[in-house]
Amino acid sequence: MNWERVRIPLMLGPTLAIITILFFGSLGFGFIQSLGYQPQIGKTEISLDAYYAVMFSDRSASQFWPGLALTLWVATVSTFLSAALAVSLALLLRRTFFGKKLSVFLFQLNLPIPHLVIAIGMLLLFAQSGLVARFAGSIGLIDAPRDFPVLTRDPYGLGIILAYIWKETAFFGIIVMAVLQSLGEDYEAVAQSLGANRWQRFRTVTLPLLMPGLMSASIIVFAFTFGSYEVPRILGVQHPKMMPVLALEYFLNPDLNARSEGMALSIIIAVIVFALVFLYMYISARTVRKN
Amino acid sequence: MTHLSIKGLTKRFSGQTEAAVADLNLEIESGSLVALLGPSGCGKTTTMKMIAGLLEPTAGDILFDKQSILRIAPERRGAVMVFQNYLLFPYMSIAQNVGYGLKIRKIDRAIIDQRVREILELVRLPGLESRYPKELSGGQQQRVALARALVVEPRLLLLDEPLSNLDAHLRFELRDLIRDIQQKMGITTVFVTHDQEEAVVLADKVALILDGKLRQYDNADAYYKRPADEETARFFGGQNFVAGRSANGVFEAPLGSLSLPQGAHEGSGILTFRPENVRIGAAATGENSLQARLVDKIFMGTQTRLRLSVGDETITAIANPNDVEGYLVDQEVPLALPSSALWVLKN
Repeated sequence: MNWERVRIPLMLGPTLAIITILFFGSLGFGFIQSLGYQPQIGKTEISLDAYYAVMFSDRSASQFWPGLALTLWVATVSTFLSAALAVSLALLLRRTFFGKKLSVFLFQLNLPIPHLVIAIGMLLLFAQSGLVARFAGSIGLIDAPRDFPVLTRDPYGLGIILAYIWKETAFFGIIVMAVLQSLGEDYEAVAQSLGANRWQRFRTVTLPLLMPGLMSASIIVFAFTFGSYEVPRILGVQHPKMMPVLALEYFLNPDLNARSEGMALSIIIAVIVFALVFLYMYISARTVRKN
Repeated sequence: MTHLSIKGLTKRFSGQTEAAVADLNLEIESGSLVALLGPSGCGKTTTMKMIAGLLEPTAGDILFDKQSILRIAPERRGAVMVFQNYLLFPYMSIAQNVGYGLKIRKIDRAIIDQRVREILELVRLPGLESRYPKELSGGQQQRVALARALVVEPRLLLLDEPLSNLDAHLRFELRDLIRDIQQKMGITTVFVTHDQEEAVVLADKVALILDGKLRQYDNADAYYKRPADEETARFFGGQNFVAGRSANGVFEAPLGSLSLPQGAHEGSGILTFRPENVRIGAAATGENSLQARLVDKIFMGTQTRLRLSVGDETITAIANPNDVEGYLVDQEVPLALPSSALWVLKN
């Protein structure tokens, strides 16, 4: 037997086994539960009842569809705005100016800070009883804290979006700055030499060259913001609730029958993320090719 | 067809004491092909980038047809630069790459397609429109980069080490192609190179830049016959330098008294002559004949390199192997230095 041929698969084996068991194991277990299989409470029949109940029952439909719309809205807007902001800032930070090192440091400062802290920080700062509202009141910009615009726990998820932008811009920034550094400015110099103005250079050269890196980061951020729990739990409203919050509430319901619905909701989240990620990759690849 | 004037051009990068380019003056005739020659880091690419507008000069002026272009944005100067590493846009097809400059000028699609086809034929790459850069060889990519620059009919074409990334065979081929196209289109062209052979073969005139300063700006043969100084002569392969003094057409040196050509520098100076102009053996007749001792002889295939001592001086000669076959080390060898091959550098 050729030892060399099997050496690498054998070495990778333990790691791959752990990843596979954890990923497919939990996904498979969750999927089975979503089909109603819960032998511990005597339910062994397989059905799609939980999916139907979550999406179409009188009790859940009024939560599910607005929740899905809000989740899509928050994930899409957060991803797009974070990416746009990161690209703009990274392009500015590429230039030479006084205080550049400090600016880069501040740009990436919140990377190690947990989402939970960011969410609570947002609440303390931007709630109607928060620091900014109180400061605005004290200097006479508003008459009372209630006049301050509703930026947290609002039905449009503005607070959630703001928290995600705050956090994810730094993540995008690291990737964009690394790509810009590796590319250098020669491609843009070629375009400029051929007659392209600043906007044309950005649109036809910088952006297409950044797209592979941006695409990968967008997929990660979109999937995270779509499935993340703590920020919408802290900064969201009672109705509509984002999908992960709903799923966990089902799951934590003392009535064990609701667990199947929680799992069905989680599987729906996973399927939607996969579908949107594939769609996004397909569209982005086509756009890059076209440009 | 654009006349390019460079007046007192200086570039000093922040944090550096020495200027990268110092007080450079050049006049480049419209339609000519000029080489900026020099070793790495001498300031030639910096000069080119200042002409293209990609770097701002610290001092001096650049004029196209007597008009200063320093205040004109790089994208509107009409000076198109072709980079050493081609820099084709990897996400565009060859046709899109070549047509890029026309597309951003919002030229009609049908005209772009036609111009792209024509220019690809000119660079001898017809039929590659739908390919992508990664599917092309280095030589093909460099031709596409050239086509992309030519298609916009620039006022000035700037080529940064256009042949340095190619192997010898492709280099010869592309060298001829560049020369042919430049002659055909009559575009004023400046190219940067560190290869003196490339500069001599390709350019109408060569500007030698050493340590950010222009040392000589002349026709190629002047560098071999009338170098401006010792460093210039050495850059072009000069190996013989003898200190002495010239007066009334005669150079007095440890080698002996040597007749000089008319108009040679008078006073104290350094005599230089090229190794290939030293006549050896039977050919060593006529003026400036000397006797030397053979110190060393190295066969190099098509030629033989000899080191010869005359008094305290050692000189280098290059001869046809057949002419010096019989000479052995330590043997007396007759040699002659024709006055037309001598040149006196100022001390």
